[in-house]
Amino acid sequence: MDQQQNMIKHVMEFMQEEPSAEQDFNELALRLYTYQYQNNLPYQSFCRQKGKTPRMVKSWKDIPAVPITAFKNITLSCIDPEKAEAVFMTSGTTQGVKGKHFHPDLRIYDQSMTLNFKNRFMQGVDRIRMGILFPTEEEMPNSSLAHYLALAVQEFGTAESHYLLTQQGIDIDRLLNELNRAEETGEPYALLGASYSFVHLLEELTRRGKTFSLPTGSRVLDTGGFKNQSKEMELSEFYRLLSAALGIERSACINMYGMTELSTQFYDSGNETIPSVKSGPHWIRTRVINPLTGEEVPKGEQGVLVHCDLGNFNSVTTILTEDMGLETENGFLFLGRVQGTEAKGCSIAAEEFIKTASKGALE
Amino acid sequence: MREIAGYLPDIGETTLEMKVLTFSKKGETVEAEIPLLTKEQINKVIEKVKKASEEVLKSFSVSDMICIIDRAIEQLLDRQSPYRQKAEKLLPIVTGYDEEIIRLGLTSYLKTFRKKELQRFLAEDFGNPLLLDDFQPRIKGGFSKAIGPNLITHIWAGNVPALPLWSFISGLLVKAGLVGKVSSAEPFFSGWFAHLLVEIEPRLADCFAVVWWKGGDEEREQRLFEQSEVVIGYGGNQSLQSLQKRMPVTTRFLPFGHKISFGAVSKSSLDSRKGWTTVHQAALDVIRYDQQGCYSPHLFYVQEGGHVSPRDFARFLANELENFQTRYPRRELSMEESAAAAAWRQREEIALFSKPGHEVLGNGANDWTVVYEENASSFLPSALNRVVKVIAFRDIEDILPVIVPHRSFLQTVGVAASPAELFRWAEQLAKIGVTRIAALGSMTSPEAGWHHDGRFNLLDLVYMVDIEAAAEASSEQFAPYVD
Repeated sequence: MDQQQNMIKHVMEFMQEEPSAEQDFNELALRLYTYQYQNNLPYQSFCRQKGKTPRMVKSWKDIPAVPITAFKNITLSCIDPEKAEAVFMTSGTTQGVKGKHFHPDLRIYDQSMTLNFKNRFMQGVDRIRMGILFPTEEEMPNSSLAHYLALAVQEFGTAESHYLLTQQGIDIDRLLNELNRAEETGEPYALLGASYSFVHLLEELTRRGKTFSLPTGSRVLDTGGFKNQSKEMELSEFYRLLSAALGIERSACINMYGMTELSTQFYDSGNETIPSVKSGPHWIRTRVINPLTGEEVPKGEQGVLVHCDLGNFNSVTTILTEDMGLETENGFLFLGRVQGTEAKGCSIAAEEFIKTASKGALE
Repeated sequence: MREIAGYLPDIGETTLEMKVLTFSKKGETVEAEIPLLTKEQINKVIEKVKKASEEVLKSFSVSDMICIIDRAIEQLLDRQSPYRQKAEKLLPIVTGYDEEIIRLGLTSYLKTFRKKELQRFLAEDFGNPLLLDDFQPRIKGGFSKAIGPNLITHIWAGNVPALPLWSFISGLLVKAGLVGKVSSAEPFFSGWFAHLLVEIEPRLADCFAVVWWKGGDEEREQRLFEQSEVVIGYGGNQSLQSLQKRMPVTTRFLPFGHKISFGAVSKSSLDSRKGWTTVHQAALDVIRYDQQGCYSPHLFYVQEGGHVSPRDFARFLANELENFQTRYPRRELSMEESAAAAAWRQREEIALFSKPGHEVLGNGANDWTVVYEENASSFLPSALNRVVKVIAFRDIEDILPVIVPHRSFLQTVGVAASPAELFRWAEQLAKIGVTRIAALGSMTSPEAGWHHDGRFNLLDLVYMVDIEAAAEASSEQFAPYVD
């Protein structure tokens, strides 16, 4: 068996095992680190630049974290990227360049998703009728979220599950039918999709003056934040409206935190309180660091999130996000993307400059 | 420690709502207590200031005003005076900047407002400053007088200490009443200055007010904008845009947006003897207020062919910044600012993979970052807080095309070059929208009488009243003593 197949096998097994001790996680993380160091030359030079070779790295916490922006400029893959079964790309770009995450095959990604989704979203139910507020995998072949949702429908949706997004936006008639139907039959219904689509949905329901009271067991999964696609909304307001419009408890409104650069997702256990605690399965771990020094901040203080995802067997396990968060007892709080801060004085801040510069280019 | 901020004229018996802004640095805390006026109180202030401006301010001669300001500045320059001591004690806590940086910054800045500088300032804009006192004969014939508005509203922004003094003093020189809104990042200095002026000349007591309200408070702003002849606004383009939208057509709005400045270093300043000094001056421009001023450099263009190569310049600059970190440490950054600075450096480090000639220099604690680049194809602001780029160039003409698209943002260029180059470069830079050429090392201290963003600080505030030559001539026939 070649080295890659061997790694895949180990990771798959690790995921299936019961949550394990720190030591086991550490061991596999270090094996993956050595594997990636040896098989991905750009990553190797990145590590050398940081002065961290496999000999120096004794704990998963020492693995050099790759800033997510690197996925835009560097090929982070242990195999020829041409041979990857799937390439997931980020929606955000820097000067037109998208981040790329290469997956030689999707066995690990899919297993990570299904084990975790079953546990965190399905909560003991085998299948549920799903409505998806996102384009299909065929429409967006490079979207990890499209794949994720397709997998959700395939593995956990009933045969009647369906997509609710058309070229023209939300298929509101179909959606209203589905919500009415759920109310009448008492069959739980799940709505899954991008957070900004839920904002559109709420606007549409308000416009029509419709509210629903969905049967117990119904639930919502939103993800991705609002990304300026719809009007910015306070999170708390968002869940209040969502809960009121659909008649679902806020505890049944689950938010998924995922990234193209990861192979594993984080979930909360509902959004009764904001911000909710996010946590992941035993094959992913998160640290909160001071971005200037790279050191972990004292527990309970704000910092930038670093994730070590053993599901990232082909790219890099450890990524440095641009997300602010803080560590809690059972996971972490996600406090939003790092915003470019306004300059304190009268010098221009990069954000403002770029915004104006790109506006100029469009005109 | 609690300190009252702001200044109010006598608006009679009234209960003031006080807003408290809290600042802390290294365990020391300062609370600024500043009046938040109701609509009625704002109205009273406007009325009072306008009246005092008309009756009191306008009765002073311009040389009276200069003397009063000069005495106030004298006290602020005197390190033993209570106001100066308060400033040196509180401003480091409020703004986070290093104490020494503030002390040196204040002195070099305040020096530009002494009597002789103010006279130059006036002469610069008016030629004959008596225009502000009386009708003065014009060369073309006739007479003119410059009249300052009864009320100017100043919307200040940012945390660079004492910066509001520019517009405050400009307003006083043209005998205009003032309502100033302080920035919540540095609410003290303009209020102290107001109190000090009144101590020196009690008749000024009702001529100005220094207050605070939350930006975008339309009710308060609307009233003020209607009553002001001129509004001076500082801030980002977005907030200026929103101010402008609400400006009555009869009120003149003078916006000062955020700017970007840079350095241009000629090979003639990079021989083995002078090279070090040049680098040292560049580093000083970077550390003063951690590049937060509009005149602070984001990047340095360094010419190839000198004894010190652009790459060496970057390395020496890194070395200087490291030295300065010990002596004048950078302001402590918030987590957001830290993340932004770190993200900037990471992007540059990642870019190294595709741009092999580049170099990213920094220390472990990320106190500063210098990026060296060749063939730069973009002109982007730095993340500030001692983050700077050094870009190699051959001829000044090579870098202009990249900069010109951003002309509306350009301000200062700090130049180290020979006299011939200085003028040749200035010619080129002027064409692309640069409004100030400073010596490297002096970027953050504009000279008295400078043209802020290319405009006239005083002339823009006044209106001129002309007595035409014909009116004068025609009046002769109505003189009682006419023959």
